[in-house]
Amino acid sequence: MSYYDIDSILTQSEKIPCTFQLDIPDLGYLDNTPTQPLKAGTKVNLPLWLAEMLVIANSGDAEGKSFVTFDLPPALGNDVVQALKADPRAVPLRDQSPHFYGLGTHMMDLSEEQEMAAVLRKTFVTRAAEVALHARKVGGVGHRGKGPEEGSNLGIGGAGEEFLRGLDEWERKLFRKAHDGAKSGKEWMEGVKKH
Amino acid sequence: MPMYGDLGNKLVQHAKRTQNLAHLPSYQTELVRAVAREVRDLDKDVASLLEPFQGSFDPSAEQATACTLLVNHLSMRRNKRCLLAYHRTRTDKLEELVWSGSDVLDLAGQQTGGGNGGPVADSGGSSSLSPQEEDYFRQYGDLLAAYKGQWTDIDLTGSLEPPRDLFIDVRVLKDAGEIQTEYGAINLTKNSQFYVRQGDVERLIAQGYLQKLG
Repeated sequence: MSYYDIDSILTQSEKIPCTFQLDIPDLGYLDNTPTQPLKAGTKVNLPLWLAEMLVIANSGDAEGKSFVTFDLPPALGNDVVQALKADPRAVPLRDQSPHFYGLGTHMMDLSEEQEMAAVLRKTFVTRAAEVALHARKVGGVGHRGKGPEEGSNLGIGGAGEEFLRGLDEWERKLFRKAHDGAKSGKEWMEGVKKH
Repeated sequence: MPMYGDLGNKLVQHAKRTQNLAHLPSYQTELVRAVAREVRDLDKDVASLLEPFQGSFDPSAEQATACTLLVNHLSMRRNKRCLLAYHRTRTDKLEELVWSGSDVLDLAGQQTGGGNGGPVADSGGSSSLSPQEEDYFRQYGDLLAAYKGQWTDIDLTGSLEPPRDLFIDVRVLKDAGEIQTEYGAINLTKNSQFYVRQGDVERLIAQGYLQKLG
């Protein structure tokens, strides 16, 4: 996660629901009402890069209260967590958030969600195995004899298509790496045989 | 309603797309300017917010102002990160292009040939690089040339693929003038065909002057 990492920057533009804890005259624009003050208790969806610091920052009074409190975004809501517990492979994570795991990691930095960590870990492990399976199938050993250009094609047919469409960015990267790895391995083996 | 940081986000989405492209898309001059302007506006806001306090601002007494300042500060910081990441993605790409032997002028040609920039971008053979990027490209090229110059018997930017054959057939796609080889000079005129040593012409193939046959 470097400062220049594009995916990390895009992850931080994911929005989470926040509630302001005090009246702020100049921030009405955050709630689409630039002319009016932002009232305490207003719920606003804020991008992570803003919400994160506002949650952590201490407003400086004796109680050490934060400027805002936050809730879990719908992408990590109870429905989704229950569905993931039932079968991690059946949930299209991309529809929840293109940076699903990134969002989850950020949220766990902000709150102590022991169960969430376990669910996400199990989700990733289960899905990673499935991703690897598909990555090897596509243009891999199964496609022998169909010409070399088949191997470079990322297009997928059949039952796996729906699952692969639902991969989040991180899983997509994993898929591409697994796919390219299998392909290069195959190419190298063929090169060895020739000489 | 647009919010601070939205434009910066757009810029980063451009960078994301750039990562997956073989060529370098046009520099987003307008967007970069707009983000920089946003930073200046935010800075002005901060200055005017702090002005009445005459340098003795107490965050715990003025919580609402403190929060506004924090939001402004974070927005500026976010914009800075977006701007830097956008430019870094592009310079990474430029360095890659230098190593692979591309030419800035070639890039400008591709831009006009591709026709995806619309009639405005195409007129006057405009480059997809900003003037600063062209400078960067040129100077990085010089650096690389100086670095490569330390070894005369090895070509650092040569192909990593071991050649199957020492000699290959090539067709000349555009005039490249005369080149010197171990076996004498060859005059590369358009549409002519030669049987040459691969090592002698690798560069010209990468630059698109020659096409490898067979």
